[in-house]
Amino acid sequence: MLWTITCRRLRRDRRGISNVIVVALSLVIIVAIASNIVFWNYEMTQLDWEKMKESVTITKVENVTSGSQFTFQNNGGLTVHLVSLWIINSANHQHYDINVFVNSAETKTYPRNDINLPTGNYTVKVVTERGNTAVYSGS
Amino acid sequence: MRKLLRSRRGVTPVLGSLLMTVIAVAGMSIAITATYVITDGLHDNMGERLIVEDVWFAPDQVSMYLRNVGKVSIEVAAVYVNRTDQSFTPLELEQNKHGWLTVDYGWSVDSAYEIKVVTRRGTIVVDYYMSPS
Repeated sequence: MLWTITCRRLRRDRRGISNVIVVALSLVIIVAIASNIVFWNYEMTQLDWEKMKESVTITKVENVTSGSQFTFQNNGGLTVHLVSLWIINSANHQHYDINVFVNSAETKTYPRNDINLPTGNYTVKVVTERGNTAVYSGS
Repeated sequence: MRKLLRSRRGVTPVLGSLLMTVIAVAGMSIAITATYVITDGLHDNMGERLIVEDVWFAPDQVSMYLRNVGKVSIEVAAVYVNRTDQSFTPLELEQNKHGWLTVDYGWSVDSAYEIKVVTRRGTIVVDYYMSPS
């Protein structure tokens, strides 16, 4: 009997409900903010981790019958996307947009008819999409 | 039916509830907008990545080739050479875009220069570069 009366009173009593709703809504907002930041942070950490895992080298740069040929070696565990090629000497810093994918543990040759290597000392530089650089010095 | 139409009892609680609903919805909208603004700013700060591909010491100027490797667009806000603020050509790079940033600077041969690039959101890329001999 007492239990029934208490239950009925509790059901009818509306005091404190607004507080509960406010706390619940605030929790929803806080969880939304926190999860958003955590997921984005995770994504960026993944990006940085992938950048650290990347390892690419330029093993050979040579003049061929028409233009020049570059050899890239991927020593890392991830596929590398090369996006930028530089031919640098004391007189000029020439930039070329490239689009070369090198799989993990693969060596790839990349011929270019339109690039002639400069005479004297020069530096060849490639940049990956993740922001790493490989450099080769030749003469 | 006529009695119901004439009766004014219960109108105030209905209006009160309606007003409270409007206020609650407005409050939630403000809270959600504030959440979006705060997280969006943090997103942008965390998503900025910038690299300097090349630095070219040309006569009386230093040119830097920048590439945006982050998740958001960037705008260069300041360039410092040896901790001195320099004027530069404005540069804004969308995601995966790249371009030259030129600073007028009278450099000396065979010297090391600390070059610092600062974006509008506060990301700093700093390194030492040797001028040619």
